Amino acid sequence: MTAGQSAPRSGPFTAERRQREHDLFRELSGRSADDPRRSAVRDELVTMHLPLVRHLAHRYHHRGESVDDLVQVGTIGLIKAVDRFDTSRDVAFSSYAAPTILGEIKQHFRDRTWALRVPRRLQELGARVSASTGELTRALHRAPTVRELAAALDVSEEDVLDAIEAGHAYATDSIDAVADADRSAMASRTGFEDPAFERIDDRESLRPLLEQLPELGRRIIELRFLHNMSQTRIAEELGISQMQVSRLLARSLAELRAGMTAG
Amino acid sequence: MNDAVTLAFPAQTQNVALARRVTAVMAARADLPLDRLEDARLAVDEAVSQVIADAPPGAEVVCVFEVQDHALDIVVTAPSSSGSVPPKGTFSWTVLTALANTVTAAVDGGVVVLHLHVSRAISVDV
Repeated sequence: MTAGQSAPRSGPFTAERRQREHDLFRELSGRSADDPRRSAVRDELVTMHLPLVRHLAHRYHHRGESVDDLVQVGTIGLIKAVDRFDTSRDVAFSSYAAPTILGEIKQHFRDRTWALRVPRRLQELGARVSASTGELTRALHRAPTVRELAAALDVSEEDVLDAIEAGHAYATDSIDAVADADRSAMASRTGFEDPAFERIDDRESLRPLLEQLPELGRRIIELRFLHNMSQTRIAEELGISQMQVSRLLARSLAELRAGMTAG
Repeated sequence: MNDAVTLAFPAQTQNVALARRVTAVMAARADLPLDRLEDARLAVDEAVSQVIADAPPGAEVVCVFEVQDHALDIVVTAPSSSGSVPPKGTFSWTVLTALANTVTAAVDGGVVVLHLHVSRAISVDV
């Protein structure tokens, strides 16, 4: 690993600067978590090393993610490194921090691997499928079939299926956006007090897992599985697309299943 | 003529994606509307995850898909360690029965068989 040696030459890396870094770390280690001075010291250390994050983020830029996103993710790694750095060890902070920052960036790519594999053509088709689904649903008073979508968009049924499949994989961002938008609107809801929920035998192990879900995911689980409302109806009710409902259902169920297995 | 499609794979969670994918293709052939296609995918996801969780090491899961008139029939079969059908009344069972129009479960000779039937419309839309 030569990550430390590849640190950027951002300004003269003077002895003075190194001394400042050293002093800051010493100050940081001596302060308790609730000390206001501690967060100022921490901030300065983070700011001081942001060029390192930018440098490392640029290395991965060509992979299709925006540099801003990568810098944001890398900064999480930097903060972790600042918090964990042990000044008594004879190692430069940048050498210590670089692997941690890269670790966060790589984790981000692992999380998004599918997203990056989805060709732009399919992403665009996905958006058209979603829009067309809305239009056809209004016209037909039910969700369209793949055949109907393919005819409306003048593409093959296989293309439509590919776009739907890709949609499940890459659209995590828009789900988060939707979830954020609706979280405030539904914040007053406090969860499952539905009579249908009371009939579920393992509800007590389920309850804490449901509480960890984003509000919108929980609401959709409730409407689909306890009220047996169709995905199309749920989409109308919540003002989002049916594809978004599908994705949120899939994701929420996967999270619940993982939690149930772990517990 | 039997048009059924059979998918067999080792009982490993990484293979659930295969079952989902085939489900989408078969649901499209059955002319299910998109929301029901997605329901079928979720149902297979749930059913296959369930049987994998209960399968002994090295077991094989078999999914048989059969297109019917505006409906898709799916039979998921796998050896079962517990030797019992998935308990009804659990959340998982609630999910399955809400997604599929009918769900039946049986165990025969240590093999669990889940039968899902997903048609154009959900049974009750309150």
